[in-house]
Amino acid sequence: MKLSYEWLKEYVEIDVKVEELAHALTMTGSAVEEIKATPQGKTLQLEITSNRPDCLNMLGLAREAAAIYGKKIKMPDLSAAKAERTSMRVECQIKAKDLCQLYTARVIEGVHVGPTPGNIVKRLEAVDLRTVNNIVDVTNYCLMELGQPMHVFDLDRIKGAKVIVRKAVKGERLITIDGVDRELSEGMLIIADADGPIAIAGIMGGKNTEVTAGTKNVLLESACFDPVTVRRTARKLAISTDSSYRFERGIDKGMVAPASDRASKMIAASTGGKIGKLLEAGSRAETAQKIIKIDVGRTERLLGASVGKTRIKKIFRGLGLDIKKESAAKLKVKVPSFRGDLMRDIDLVEEVARIYGYDNIPSKVSKIIPQGERKEKPKKVDEKIRTDLAGAGWQEIMTYSMVPYRAYEDLSSISASPVEIMNPLSEEQKFLAPNLVDGMLKVISRNLNRKNMDLRLFETGKIYKKTGPGEKDIMESPELCIGITGCARKNWKEGAVQSSFYDVKGVVERLLSGLRINTFFKTADIPGLVTASHVRIGNEKRLVGFAGEISPKTLERYDISQPVFIAQISLNEVTRHAVLEDTFTPVPRFPSAFRDVSVQCDKELEVDGLKDAMEQECEGIVKKVEIIDLYEGDKIPAGKKSLTFSIEYALPDRTLTDEEVGAAHDKIKKAVAEKFGVTYR
Amino acid sequence: MSRIDEIKAAFEAEISSCKRLEGLEEMKVRYLGRKGELTSVLRSLSELPEDERRKAGMEANKLKELMNSGIEEARTRLEMKSRGEKASEMDVTLPGFGPPRGGLHPITKTMGRISEIFVSLGFRIAEGPEVETEFYNFEALNIPLDHPSRDGFDTFYIKGKTLLRSHTSNVQIHIMQKQKPPFQVLMPGRVYRPDAVDATHSFMFHQVEGLMVDTDISFADLKGALTLFCRSMFGEDTRMRFRPSFFPFTEPSAEVDISCFICKGKGCRVCKMSGWLEIMGAGLVDPKVFEAVGYDPGKYTGFAFGMGVERIAMLLYGINDIRLFYENDVRFLRQFI
Repeated sequence: MKLSYEWLKEYVEIDVKVEELAHALTMTGSAVEEIKATPQGKTLQLEITSNRPDCLNMLGLAREAAAIYGKKIKMPDLSAAKAERTSMRVECQIKAKDLCQLYTARVIEGVHVGPTPGNIVKRLEAVDLRTVNNIVDVTNYCLMELGQPMHVFDLDRIKGAKVIVRKAVKGERLITIDGVDRELSEGMLIIADADGPIAIAGIMGGKNTEVTAGTKNVLLESACFDPVTVRRTARKLAISTDSSYRFERGIDKGMVAPASDRASKMIAASTGGKIGKLLEAGSRAETAQKIIKIDVGRTERLLGASVGKTRIKKIFRGLGLDIKKESAAKLKVKVPSFRGDLMRDIDLVEEVARIYGYDNIPSKVSKIIPQGERKEKPKKVDEKIRTDLAGAGWQEIMTYSMVPYRAYEDLSSISASPVEIMNPLSEEQKFLAPNLVDGMLKVISRNLNRKNMDLRLFETGKIYKKTGPGEKDIMESPELCIGITGCARKNWKEGAVQSSFYDVKGVVERLLSGLRINTFFKTADIPGLVTASHVRIGNEKRLVGFAGEISPKTLERYDISQPVFIAQISLNEVTRHAVLEDTFTPVPRFPSAFRDVSVQCDKELEVDGLKDAMEQECEGIVKKVEIIDLYEGDKIPAGKKSLTFSIEYALPDRTLTDEEVGAAHDKIKKAVAEKFGVTYR
Repeated sequence: MSRIDEIKAAFEAEISSCKRLEGLEEMKVRYLGRKGELTSVLRSLSELPEDERRKAGMEANKLKELMNSGIEEARTRLEMKSRGEKASEMDVTLPGFGPPRGGLHPITKTMGRISEIFVSLGFRIAEGPEVETEFYNFEALNIPLDHPSRDGFDTFYIKGKTLLRSHTSNVQIHIMQKQKPPFQVLMPGRVYRPDAVDATHSFMFHQVEGLMVDTDISFADLKGALTLFCRSMFGEDTRMRFRPSFFPFTEPSAEVDISCFICKGKGCRVCKMSGWLEIMGAGLVDPKVFEAVGYDPGKYTGFAFGMGVERIAMLLYGINDIRLFYENDVRFLRQFI
């Protein structure tokens, strides 16, 4: 909305610097974005919120200024136009009564279309409106002055001397004055003559009845159309005009007829036309008499400021609200028709706050409401995971929740069934992420491309899945994704160690042990992954995710040519099993004894089984079994590997003797040899 | 000079000039070993008469202790010296073997900072769904269908009335349906709007929403809480202004500006020469929202606020392109430690 300071001064006597006015308007809710100096004086670019259509014109802004500075409004001449008998007759009819409450039209005969008077042109140019002729410009002038959109038809081109406000029927079309041939859909509100559409109600007129240089007689329309229908139609036709913008937000029904009077007189004055009688269809009556009760005490309590009744009354009067009745604690206020936004007492509280000034309301140090834990478990787990991983040398990333179908197709074995978006911005963002691996691989690919070669990354984000055919059958669940590629370690002494499956496994183990969760990895067949593994946790060994190396074929699709290791873990499950509370158990008083054992076995034998057997054989004495070496090579027979374990023995209540440890160690060796057929070195 | 005094003098002279650890071992054997000089003196004590024996025995034992501690002292001295000699052969300028450094995403960091401040003001953190229904995203928040107030809330739809939330305000409704006042909650999260991507727009971004409800919450409480927040977030000398605005779910509504911390309010490119930065929207909870969740609007009052995390991060760090957050170039990410 553009405001001309010179024009504004016609309606309110203020003499402050334009910068001061700008500040005052901004601080009462009409934000000034820019002040410009033009040949027609200073102008302000305003951002008017959608609840204040009354501020979309000079008079409305003058009312705001008047309320701020305690001035009286000087109303423009809105007296009734003196009607004369006209030879031309028109009939007005509203067929869609639900969408049009009031429709007025007025014949102006014998006009001479020509240039617009200089004073009007000057005003219009100040607010960036282009001049057309002495008729159209008047309607634009009144629109900017009073906020009432009006339209002028060439009366001689209206067929059948009839204007009908009705809904469009299927197949109707109209070439609008911008030259576009528009297909009207059923139910759009239009103005029609005997032959068909001549205007789209409240939005734009038709070329077929446009005022041209040769126009002799006109019909001036001033009406009140339903905001919702104007909005729907404008959106559907993808047009927004000064008129539709105002109708969508709601116009002042009380201004429909007075605006017509003012425009008629101005048109007659500049074109030499003769003004006819105001034709009216519908009702001028307000839909509801708006009287609002407001409690002074409640107002002050809501604002936390002692404004005082006297001040409140002054604010209301300044805004043009009538105080109908008052008691010690309450006011009864009548709201004028131009303030359609004021409907409840809270709306009036806001008016008090606005004009009193938000800056004048004190700032109170708020109390603290006692309420248990400030963070719930999932939040705590999420935060712990992020800080743990960052501390362990992993970089957090954040990827889009929207992905192309490829993200599902290329990784279907590790994806949930994807959720499609009805109105996506593009094919690239058509689905909600069914996994976090796609995002991870894209980030890895982009970084490798930019020569960032050694990456250890993680993301905690949501995946989304369809769980059924219904619109509510969609689940979102938080997941953790970890990815590593390039060197895991690199230094001048030990050289470079390429990352491997065990780097991913290690970080998952470390992370979950920090949440007191046992982790188990089990070989699995997962298409798209090589050396794939299921990740299970807790005592019941629940499946919570997967880890592995992305297959070279999949990597190729992401344009990655070096191995990438990845894991994705369900955070809901992790949260369920996580134990965040620290508990104390006494530190062992008696020293442990350590014995190593080297085992030679088949290459295929999994370490976990051996380890479990060792732990279980002498339960109670064995505290821990740790693998400390793995050898595969020339020094042992083909198809075999050599494993060295370190076994820790201890008792809680006394020190074990050498003999006891030796006996247990021998027992374990014997049992493992029998069970797995291993040999000892 | 007794035999004991002689041994003592010899030992002291020798120990002070001993330069090698091996020499110390040899000395220990020579003086204190099974056939050592002091040992032989001790052994010969039994041949002395009673009173002399006592006196000489005490002296000899005293010397034994002295020798033991002297040798230990010398050992420590020599060991320290030898380690120092080895260290001087190393190049301390070679890089160390520390594990690599990781880090949190700047959005996580910014959201964390915002959350910590509000947690210290008593707020509890709550999260809600991103896949949402029209009721929670619009209707319950007093945003009617086909109303210009929806203009700012273009939305991605999934199916029927299921959509991706366009703001975190949906969580307000979930919270209020679940519990009765009083409470104060902070609701951080991801939101979606179909905006074409450019340097300042993203179809996905983050918000932090706050809500405090009791029987006596006023606009002054809102100003107090947000003033405390802004001063700890943007600096002690931050000035603030509250401007009337419009949001369907709050009334009175306010736009909260802080003095531009880049130009200190003098006017610069970032604040568009105004000296002020728009930082969040806020207001008292609209009675219609209370009605939608079954609260008595005559009994309860509350305030709500919401801010964009990307915008705040961009302002704080001087980042000029929102896309950088989602490109995840590690050279960008590693700047945030």
